[in-house]
Amino acid sequence: MNPVLLPLFPVVPLLAAAATVLLRQTAFNRLLTVGVPLLSAAGGVGMLLAHRTEPVVAHHIGGFAAGIAIPLVSDTFSALMITVTSLTTAATMIFLATTGEDRYRFVPALALMLLAGVNGALLTGDLFNLFVFIEVMLLPSYALIAVTGTWRRLGAGRLFVLVSLLTSTLLLMGVAMLYAAAGTVNLAALAGRASEDPWTGFGVALVLLALAIKAGVVPVHTWLPRAYPATSAGVMALFSALHTKVALYAIYRIYATAYGGEAPWWPLLVVAVALTMVVGAYSTFGESVIRRALAFQMVTGVGHILLGLALFTQVGIAAGIFYMVHHIVVIGALLLSSGAVEHTYGSGRYDRLRGLIRRDPWVAAVFALGLFSLVGLPPSSGFFGKVGLVQASAATDVPWQQWTYITLIIVASLGSLVALQRLWVAVFFGPDLDTYRPDSPRTGRGPRTELPPQVRVTGRLLAPGATLLVVSLAMFVGAGIVVPLTVDAAAALLDPTGYSQAVLP
Amino acid sequence: MFLPVTIGVLVTGAVYLMMQRSMVRIVFGFALLSHAANLMLLAAGVSYWRGEPLGGYGSPADQADPLPQAFVLTAIVIALAVTVFMLALAVIGHDDDTKRMPDTGEVHDR
Repeated sequence: MNPVLLPLFPVVPLLAAAATVLLRQTAFNRLLTVGVPLLSAAGGVGMLLAHRTEPVVAHHIGGFAAGIAIPLVSDTFSALMITVTSLTTAATMIFLATTGEDRYRFVPALALMLLAGVNGALLTGDLFNLFVFIEVMLLPSYALIAVTGTWRRLGAGRLFVLVSLLTSTLLLMGVAMLYAAAGTVNLAALAGRASEDPWTGFGVALVLLALAIKAGVVPVHTWLPRAYPATSAGVMALFSALHTKVALYAIYRIYATAYGGEAPWWPLLVVAVALTMVVGAYSTFGESVIRRALAFQMVTGVGHILLGLALFTQVGIAAGIFYMVHHIVVIGALLLSSGAVEHTYGSGRYDRLRGLIRRDPWVAAVFALGLFSLVGLPPSSGFFGKVGLVQASAATDVPWQQWTYITLIIVASLGSLVALQRLWVAVFFGPDLDTYRPDSPRTGRGPRTELPPQVRVTGRLLAPGATLLVVSLAMFVGAGIVVPLTVDAAAALLDPTGYSQAVLP
Repeated sequence: MFLPVTIGVLVTGAVYLMMQRSMVRIVFGFALLSHAANLMLLAAGVSYWRGEPLGGYGSPADQADPLPQAFVLTAIVIALAVTVFMLALAVIGHDDDTKRMPDTGEVHDR
């Protein structure tokens, strides 16, 4: 595997974004917006195969000496994340093409720039460069949140921009403090230094706090369930698969590398994880719109993913990474399917939808399996995600931790189960639907009219979400393929010497 | 001494302005906050005047640390782009406030 190829992950989507602006042909744009993410996913799979023989690949941009150059580093964890995020992006872009949202000016270019930022943030080994790539990821998002969705998007767009910008400034201040204390922002050079020097530890903690806001950890999560559902389902699927998960990836990577063990403020992490799991699950009760309920499910998912970091054992981190992969796929599947329902019937509200199980049995099937996966029931990837976390919790040495974590997982799952049953009963059971709001190309949704019997969620609209759900089912059947990858990734996080040696030979 | 005091004053002003309801004031608040962050980045290097960090031009011991300067340059560009976008949002909001929704032709309904 030639390390010179690594910069192609951010560069190719950026060039493709420029191409979509220059050549405004719908067919050409669609080819690029679907093809480039698929290419990136194929590259991710290629990296995963290459990492079997060569665990870490590092490239120094511009050929500068190691330690001065900005490094791009790939190991099993980042390759796995690139594969999953790119696949979800491809499915989302197909959905946006089906609903026609990709015909809005600049949407293809913005989506490809977002992908470039995500790939860069997943690969970079330099904290200031991480800030830059996160900005590359956020700037197109500010525009995307403003072009699609309902009239609420304008207010929510402000909220999203203000929170993201405040967080980015906090991240920048953290990087500044880190540079002042440690004299470097190269992650490999920082390995283990945060636990030796308290000022370095403070800088790293500030960076992690900023990333926690971006990820949506309770108590700094409130912006997420307000901002995301205001945009359209397709764009929300894009955001949920990319933004919060890149922040979570960075939290895993920086925490594990910089502290090289448990941080001094580890009890705070445990409290935040516990709150995130439970508050997210029980807040779902308060929502009566499908995508708002799913937004709170994203919050509880963040808690489950970070539980792996709180455990900080190989089994625990592997279970956390598996849960992250599962969560990206399943939330993507559910958001795209709810987007198909919203696009067809003109609403995602519980009180404006009913009896869909007779009208659209396939949508019901996708939803049922997706909700099973969120709660953690077989036959879906969520089952192994939760079993992995429970097993990892049981494997710790401290009895109070075992009991606390397992109780938290069960309490959160029960909350999600009952809250999502409410969603299911409201949307799929009950008498037949008789009115709807047809899609209107100019104003988004037309006036409420009587529902003709031939109106159904079309197969083309459902296909992207259903495909992602099949990936989730495949992760249940083929867990034997994914689990070794997460175990490898966890081992590399726990022992960053391989990472450091590849970056600073 | 001047640098920490300046950063403190900038952050105080930024927090005050960001607590306001009007979008334009919030944008001004963010401008102040990003200046504070930039000064913090500069303070991470050596804050007093030193030689130009150019290769083959004086000894490295007399030269300034180029990294914080590169950081600040990047951060300024990003802050400028976001400020312009936020000002655009303030204009679209028309009333400079979220009380009234702009007329986009859409039905104001969930």
